Amino acid sequence: MNDLHGILFAYRSDANLGELTRMRNTCSLPFGGRYRLVDFMLSNYVNAGMTDVGVVVHQSYQSLLDHLGSGKDWELSRKHGGLRILPPFSYAEQGHREYQGSMDALVGVSDYLSDIRQDYVILSWGDIGINLPINKVFEQHLSSGADITMVCTPVLNGAPQYSEYVEANEQGWVSDLSVHPTTAGKALESLEIYILSKRLLLDMVDYCAAHNLSNFSRDVLQPRLKLLKINTYIHQGYVARFQSVGDYYQRSMDLLDPAVRSDLFNPARPIRTKDHSNPSTYYGPGSVSRQSLVADGCYIEGEVENSILARGVVVEKGAKVSNSVLMQGTVVKAGASLSYVITDKNVVINENRSLMGHHTYPLAIAKGSVV
Amino acid sequence: MCLCPYMNKKVTEQMKKEVVAMLLAGGQGSRLYALTSQVAKPAVPFGGKYRIIDFPLSNCVNSGIDTVGVLTQYRPLELNSYLGNGQPWDLDRSDGGVHILPPYLGEGEKGSWYKGTANAIYQNIGFLDMYDPEYVVILSGDHIYKMDYSEMVAFHKKTESACTISVLEVSMEEAKRFGIMNADENDQIYEFEEKPAHPKSNLASMGIYVFTWSKLRKYLIDDEADPNSSNDFGKNIIPNMLNAGERLMAYRFQGYWKDVGTIDSLWDANMDMLSRNSGLDIYDENWPIYARTPIKPPHVTGPNAVISHSLVTGGSDVDGTVMNSVLFHSATVETGAEIQYSILMPGATVKAGAKVYYSIVAENATIEAGATVGAPPSGEEGWGIAVVASGITVGENAVVTPSAMIREDVKGGERA
Repeated sequence: MNDLHGILFAYRSDANLGELTRMRNTCSLPFGGRYRLVDFMLSNYVNAGMTDVGVVVHQSYQSLLDHLGSGKDWELSRKHGGLRILPPFSYAEQGHREYQGSMDALVGVSDYLSDIRQDYVILSWGDIGINLPINKVFEQHLSSGADITMVCTPVLNGAPQYSEYVEANEQGWVSDLSVHPTTAGKALESLEIYILSKRLLLDMVDYCAAHNLSNFSRDVLQPRLKLLKINTYIHQGYVARFQSVGDYYQRSMDLLDPAVRSDLFNPARPIRTKDHSNPSTYYGPGSVSRQSLVADGCYIEGEVENSILARGVVVEKGAKVSNSVLMQGTVVKAGASLSYVITDKNVVINENRSLMGHHTYPLAIAKGSVV
Repeated sequence: MCLCPYMNKKVTEQMKKEVVAMLLAGGQGSRLYALTSQVAKPAVPFGGKYRIIDFPLSNCVNSGIDTVGVLTQYRPLELNSYLGNGQPWDLDRSDGGVHILPPYLGEGEKGSWYKGTANAIYQNIGFLDMYDPEYVVILSGDHIYKMDYSEMVAFHKKTESACTISVLEVSMEEAKRFGIMNADENDQIYEFEEKPAHPKSNLASMGIYVFTWSKLRKYLIDDEADPNSSNDFGKNIIPNMLNAGERLMAYRFQGYWKDVGTIDSLWDANMDMLSRNSGLDIYDENWPIYARTPIKPPHVTGPNAVISHSLVTGGSDVDGTVMNSVLFHSATVETGAEIQYSILMPGATVKAGAKVYYSIVAENATIEAGATVGAPPSGEEGWGIAVVASGITVGENAVVTPSAMIREDVKGGERA
């Protein structure tokens, strides 16, 4: 399947994620031991046979650039098409300001859009943890004759003030869409993943540019609920969204559930990521590792329980780590103890320190800190 | 990547490379028995994350050698697909890079397999001439070590030798098992003895050579013309060069080096990977060993997992007991299973309650529930490492005796 072009929005830096996104875009947030959030949707695109993907960025995208490189780890380093990073271009004369919404962002890269080779386009955010069979979504889009197909989940995940809810009939046709309401919707939560034709997309981008409209849901979908045929694709599998530090912690812990792992890491649709050539993880004599997800290149001589360890984490003798998420290169020195803690990259916990958060309020420690 | 470049003359000047490495990867590895029934020896998995060939290849890249010919012959399929375009080693280059060189047939010629190590290089004189190198580094695909070949080449240049041979100082007892270089006080070699009964020196050849290409080219052509030659570096080329009065130097290597050509040495070298004092530091970021990494999530430990002094790799799932062992990617150790002093290669599965001691379980082999493979050293004659070949199933409650080489499925309850 090659008639689908991927657009990935990677310009938001969610303020609610606090320390975790202070230095990075939400898309480059480390997740699941060896991944960045962007790996999930990007892999979904590639696993559906898509060859051309544009990643829309705006600010603090340095770590994202570093991670994606030429796109070769996703088989997207190609002579024609492949991975394209799209910083604001058409915006140059308008000064420096944040994108006001995804239509605003698409106007910012409209030159790129008009050169798209494919007849159809998929739009998605790059910060959702999901293994989505996009082939099936696309097949449904074509067979239903819809103008727009939007992917929804029956499991309500998000906080209402950041979420969108869809009402649809039995055939899946959308009758109402509520955006950021004060209370959660009843049936379906939108994942803000859309498939539509390139022509329709370009028309709408033109219209929004001409009318100074910026929001896809409010300015494009809501006024056209009666004019356009909008269908829903119901994704029954696991979905992780990240709107707060608490979300990040809970979604990380979800990975300790084998059912979540087998859905998210379905070997038929593998999640690809940048390869760092780390050696295997070493467990020393007397070490403990239970109920944990541990990436390569770790050196564990202490105790690890109910935790997620990213590559290159060191847990020294006598150190105890439980119910925690340790990002790349974290060092927990001898005798230290961590419970309900999130450590960002390269955090060092010195000897005999003891840190404890709570499962509803985990303690997040900023990148490179020494405790 | 370029397959089989048949060329008799230089193509362009700008392709010239000062150093080209030729990696002999065609050996059958018959002493690895069941492990090499499907794959060439250099493609045998090693150390949790790697295959044997990753070590010489990574050494090349880390030494600044960007053009490597890999000479394949025996069961090349898996090796070829593993090497691919050379991307994991940064050898996916438009100028140089990794080249797979199988034996080939020229127009109007009688083709042949590589008759010996020297003949393998002889058959690829066209490839080497294409790059017109000053020096050729000859490597083999069955050693585990880290070495800066650029220092060896610098030594070769400084001593103005025709051939430099990397040597390791071994005990006089061990010397009987190696090709031994007898050298003078300046380390200039005057004699080569293959596995001498009464060694005169303890300088063992590591099978790593640097040749001045113009010299080697001549000796290869002369050697090929000799119908009595076995076309081997150790047996023919080196003695011929010595007889002709060429300058051959011994380059002393210090550090970890292990030939993994036998089951015992392969097992041993894997066990060395567990120790930080073995002399082989795979965590050193200044000399990384690269590998083609499969797309797998991190490994998982279950509520009953007990892991001690072991390596565990991505995609594995451990809920049993693993001690003093090396687990490659996607290995599964179910609840109550016990792995001791063993190697589980990629995709190996050990089901509930099965026991694996002092064994090598090859790729995608399955040990069913309650089976026992191998045993701890008993001191009895005939004890050894048990090997279960790739894709084999050892049935429920079956027993695989120590030092057994299992190439066919073992039915439930049987003893093999």
